[in-house]
Amino acid sequence: MSGALLEIEGLSCRFGGLLALDSLDLAVEPGALAGLIGPNGAGKTTCFNLITGRVRPSGGNVRFQGRPLAGLRPSRVNRLGVARTFQNIRLFDDLTVLENVLVGFHGRLKANFLSAILRLPAYAREDRRMHDRGLELLDLVGLGRLGQERASNLAYGQQRLLEIARALATGPRLLLLDEPAAGMNPNETAALARLVRRLRDDMGISVLLIEHDMHFVMNLCESLTVLDHGRVIARGAPREVQSDPAVIEAYLGAGLETAPLEGGHA
Amino acid sequence: MSLAGRIFKAGPLPDAAGTRRRDTWLTLAACALGGGLLWLAENQAGGYVVHMLTLSGLFVVLAVSYNLINGFTGQFSLEPNAFVACGAYVTALLTISPLEKEASFILEPLIWPLSVIHLPLLPALLIAGLCTALMAFVMGFPVFRVRGDYLAIVTLGFGEVVRVVANNAQSVTNGPLGLKGIAHLTNLWWAWGLAGATLFVVVRLVHSSYGRALKAIREDETAAEAMGINAFWHKMLAFTLSAFFEGMAGGLLAHLITTISPSLFTFFMTFNLLIIIVVGGLGSTTGAVLGAILFTFGGEWLRVVEEPATLFGLDIPGIPGMRMVVFSLILVGVMLFARQGILGRNEFSWRWLLARLGMGRGRA
Repeated sequence: MSGALLEIEGLSCRFGGLLALDSLDLAVEPGALAGLIGPNGAGKTTCFNLITGRVRPSGGNVRFQGRPLAGLRPSRVNRLGVARTFQNIRLFDDLTVLENVLVGFHGRLKANFLSAILRLPAYAREDRRMHDRGLELLDLVGLGRLGQERASNLAYGQQRLLEIARALATGPRLLLLDEPAAGMNPNETAALARLVRRLRDDMGISVLLIEHDMHFVMNLCESLTVLDHGRVIARGAPREVQSDPAVIEAYLGAGLETAPLEGGHA
Repeated sequence: MSLAGRIFKAGPLPDAAGTRRRDTWLTLAACALGGGLLWLAENQAGGYVVHMLTLSGLFVVLAVSYNLINGFTGQFSLEPNAFVACGAYVTALLTISPLEKEASFILEPLIWPLSVIHLPLLPALLIAGLCTALMAFVMGFPVFRVRGDYLAIVTLGFGEVVRVVANNAQSVTNGPLGLKGIAHLTNLWWAWGLAGATLFVVVRLVHSSYGRALKAIREDETAAEAMGINAFWHKMLAFTLSAFFEGMAGGLLAHLITTISPSLFTFFMTFNLLIIIVVGGLGSTTGAVLGAILFTFGGEWLRVVEEPATLFGLDIPGIPGMRMVVFSLILVGVMLFARQGILGRNEFSWRWLLARLGMGRGRA
């Protein structure tokens, strides 16, 4: 397992009587395009919350680039190079689209607040760079002309793209996307798939994503991990996972012969 | 196209270098104009008007800095009376002459280093600001463990604690007797000078990357944390900075009214400030300034309704307290028709003003 970007060993999370995640093992290699799928309530988003420090695990550990993440604040985890988006979009509604992205740069700002108040050259330089990079990122996700719009005025699909741009602004090595295609139409979904592939191919960002759109997942991801009731029930290449009887049973219940995950939406 | 229209032709980004330089000059010109008006007021207006103008300057400082933590960072806190008290006591203890101190501390003598210190106003104010900021910093550790309603309650409690301490720490604060004989040093220039400094710092901070981070925390703390912003330290920054200015304003307040006692710094003071920033518009510095000025002068203008008057042939005797009834009605009206306050989260900008003057275009 050594050499993996993200290593998860025996990660568990218990909410009262509910075991949301039961000793999960997962490794994300550098340059991976990995997917985490499973029926609703399988523990996928909990897994993201555990990695990013939003929820404390009941057991197990997570290492990023060999460094344990246990007990770190979400902001610390982010600055180490793990960025995420949210299943239920969490933009800064009252800020503009560009400002949302600029917030993503703030965690790595070197100038202190006095230098920002006095507009010292060091801060001014960083500020200009943030603006330039912010506009570039908006262009990258296809929101280049909407920079001055209020974030809450964007269409649903655009809001998901803005969340990705904001996450990219934090300069991640690993990007965790929580249902990035939810609420998108087929055209938007196809564009999203191209975008995610570009992030990996051109920017060298590894991606772990949660998604229910099986067409999207099967075409994009190179490896999949399937969760059900907090346990891994299958893992491997999309083709293998697709025909795994345990997976089919988890999604559709027992007693079905055909492979229902072929293409189409789950 | 008019000249003004050509000057600020809307580009893709409003912060082009030329626009910024123009705004700087306009701001400097406005400051000079404001200074001229203050000079005029000092020389031409009566003592009462000057007193009210000075007081409104101090309220501008308090409202703008309180708005930084409540409006921009979205942390509903209720402790400014504690900060104002801290600043007022520290400044007064540093500037009152040792002789005067010996005379007023009747029950218990003032403790040693304070009993001999005698400083001019400026260093005393700075020390008071730093002491208040330190108090906020220490207080921030327990306080920012909670959010929302809980934060309000905890900070409210701290405000009371400070008042109770002021009442009982006889050998430092002279207890309920308070401090007397504070020199009347605060004038228009001190008050509005501090207001200018506060506005400079707060506006610059809010328009920087740090300001965006504070607003991000207000909008969604979880998302802000996930984007690498340490919410705790940023709240601390806003809290400490607002305490620094509130402390200095407290010091100037003490040197304006010349006598302070714990009963001056009750929750009522915080409540008034809260009204100011809510009516002005939470999260708008312009709103805080407007609210502070309206509040200070409004209270005086409303005295009209307490005087005996003849209305449509009816003799109405003066009713003391009528002012507060009318005031409450106005407050209810504002909350009914402008729930976001007078300005909401909008700010004054030169762009907007020029658009109004030159083109009659709407908000920019």
